[in-house]
Amino acid sequence: MKLNDRVQDDIVILEPKGKIMGGPDASLLHDKLHDYIEQDMKKVIIDLSKVDWMNSTGLGILISGLTTIRNNNGELKLANLTKKVQSLLTITKLVSVFEAYDSIDEAIKSFK
Amino acid sequence: MEKPKIIDNTIMIPSSQDFLPDVDVFLEGVLRGLGVDESTIADIAISVSELVNNAIFHGNKTARDKTIKVEINKVNGSVKISVTDEGGGFDLNDVENPIDDDNLLKEVGRGLFIVQSLMDSVDKNTTDTGTTVVITKDI
Repeated sequence: MKLNDRVQDDIVILEPKGKIMGGPDASLLHDKLHDYIEQDMKKVIIDLSKVDWMNSTGLGILISGLTTIRNNNGELKLANLTKKVQSLLTITKLVSVFEAYDSIDEAIKSFK
Repeated sequence: MEKPKIIDNTIMIPSSQDFLPDVDVFLEGVLRGLGVDESTIADIAISVSELVNNAIFHGNKTARDKTIKVEINKVNGSVKISVTDEGGGFDLNDVENPIDDDNLLKEVGRGLFIVQSLMDSVDKNTTDTGTTVVITKDI
């Protein structure tokens, strides 16, 4: 897995690429997410358009980020879910937990 | 064993997540060779990654000198994959339901549920030498 990140206005956009299956690669996403939260960034979008698939480790990282940022009065949103990730969120009922948008622009607008 | 070892349709790895990508590359290569479609390959790859993670942490307790073996076979119209560790096993049914409202925000505990959701069958066998989980998926 690779990870790009950028800040647009006051919104953090993380773009993991590949498969999130556990191990050092997955730690990269977890650590970057929590680095931004520690910097008091309260608006985060994770762009999942380039994630082929993830397993429960990936879902755990998303939940960890979501709960941590909500405890800091912020919000984490998802964008561009691939069919496989959407399916996994449906199976695990996490669709009811995450706000997900069809594009980065829509996710950005939702913060305003 | 310090690095992955491949013999025919079997890969053996030390008990470390460092080798998850090796298992994935091997698995997906074998499945493509069998003509399995990409969506099914992803479902199987997700499931095997869950089972290997379980084997690393719960079976072999991250003891790097212990081995995990993943074997792939085509049986009639199905793919059958076994994941074997050197641990004492677990109860497939003794897992909290991760889709209960009280569990939705837990960071762990979804692995076996996902495997059971994506695969057509999941079976487990524990012997004196370790535990094998066998999954099958129609292709």
